[in-house]
Amino acid sequence: MKKVVSEISGAVFSLPWMVAKDHGFFEAEGIDMEFVTTVPTGKVARTENPEDVNPILQHTAFEEARVSIYRA
Amino acid sequence: MVSQAVVVRPDSPHNYPGTLGNRPIAVQFHAGSHYVALRLLEGYLPAEKIKLVHCGSPRDRFEAMWTGEVDAALVMEPWISLAEKLGCKILCEGHYLGAENASDDMDEETFAAINRAVERAVDLLDADKRKYLHYLIDDPRHAATLKQYGGLTPEDFQLGRLRYVKPVPYTDEIVEDTYNWMTRWGLITDAACSSDLVDNRIAEAVSADD
Repeated sequence: MKKVVSEISGAVFSLPWMVAKDHGFFEAEGIDMEFVTTVPTGKVARTENPEDVNPILQHTAFEEARVSIYRA
Repeated sequence: MVSQAVVVRPDSPHNYPGTLGNRPIAVQFHAGSHYVALRLLEGYLPAEKIKLVHCGSPRDRFEAMWTGEVDAALVMEPWISLAEKLGCKILCEGHYLGAENASDDMDEETFAAINRAVERAVDLLDADKRKYLHYLIDDPRHAATLKQYGGLTPEDFQLGRLRYVKPVPYTDEIVEDTYNWMTRWGLITDAACSSDLVDNRIAEAVSADD
């Protein structure tokens, strides 16, 4: 089995992935799929300037190579 | 594919997007809510009157709207359904395409295997979306908050809003159009070139096979 770690953010984005995992579709393809759940940012400092916000947002696990795929 | 909606409180004086000029609207910068807000509102308002405020997660954007901190918020499901259940008004909404972002070391065979599994799930969803809405309702990141506002059931959702499609490469035309739109809004530097950012070998291979 090939190990793959995927980030999971909001369920609305990742619904097909969740269904695929729970129905064993990844396993049937030889993929050992592990999900890592992003943590909501919580209350953030309000700003009207996009440059004040790191565009990586909550996708730090991908930037740190702890997951190999995410969707946005 | 996900929809983001501009929602306002039940008692809001706003009934269409054209009155939101210079009024604070909650989004998350550099994410779908930010881009969809600009795409929707530029049809009603001059750019200098679109006042977006970074409020973070969809839950925080929803609550910023509900408490009156902002006039409107961009949210996706299940927050759109919650807003509708609470009597909020949807001023406009738009779908947008997402993308799978894979690391450089993911081989094509693994990526193709993942996509085949996802495609089987899309077939199940298309056959009976309501059967799988519990994933959205029970998501541990917001389940408690949904309950705090009265909760949701699968019957509260408009199924036509949920659109899941099988993964396909972006066409060069979509990339070029999006790149031009982003540079016009200053969301990406024009020093970058779309052909530098996207290598559409897969799409070209598919086209060659047609």
